[in-house]
Amino acid sequence: MPPKKYWRCFICNDIHYGLFPPVLCPTCKVKNAYVEISEQEARKMSLPGAAPFTKEDFRRAIQAFVAKNEFQVNPEQDRVETLLEGIFANESNHGLKYCPCRLATKDFAEDIKIVCPCNFTIHETYQGQEKGECWCSLFVRRTKNA
Amino acid sequence: MPKLLMFHARECPHCRRMMPLVERLEKEEGVVFEKLEVWHDEKNAEMMRSYRNILAPKCGGQLRTPTFFKPETNDVLCGEVEYDKLKGWAAQ
Repeated sequence: MPPKKYWRCFICNDIHYGLFPPVLCPTCKVKNAYVEISEQEARKMSLPGAAPFTKEDFRRAIQAFVAKNEFQVNPEQDRVETLLEGIFANESNHGLKYCPCRLATKDFAEDIKIVCPCNFTIHETYQGQEKGECWCSLFVRRTKNA
Repeated sequence: MPKLLMFHARECPHCRRMMPLVERLEKEEGVVFEKLEVWHDEKNAEMMRSYRNILAPKCGGQLRTPTFFKPETNDVLCGEVEYDKLKGWAAQ
């Protein structure tokens, strides 16, 4: 896969990282508004004013993330609390929200695969499993009644 | 008696569930696991990384916890398992 690029909406300054620019800006809804920019510009445009992202923010974010997906946040609250502690400890100590149940290898291309939420849908613990879950079990396949 | 390692992580729920089973096995069978926490101890993390080529192929291609390992024979058991499975693996 070719390297991903940074893109900026020239109307509202949203930043996108990917192979192609979004056709429709998800924030200002303007079409064909993204222009390619440098990594330096992307970083500077993203950082100023960014509010601290707390554990509660992350909890809210993953609930919104699962809302329209076939998986949900694990209903076992104690388990979720333990995992969130680990995820935030890892971000504080190691720079990113690494999965508490896997270890970073120090190979960045590999390690971004274990940043939560990871693409667990391709993992053997989830794919094709009726009671599928991500490796750490923060996300579990949604049951019919859930 | 073969050397037994357990790579685990403080906030890993699977590791927390396995720890009492490991302690029970130690008590009942007289074996000893060297327990190595890997997210809060860089020395232990480096040790686990040093075995990456052996551990990862048995654990979905990644370094996952908990991982049980016999460095003398390169036997690997990955993840949360039943007591009898752990016992059988340790006795092999």
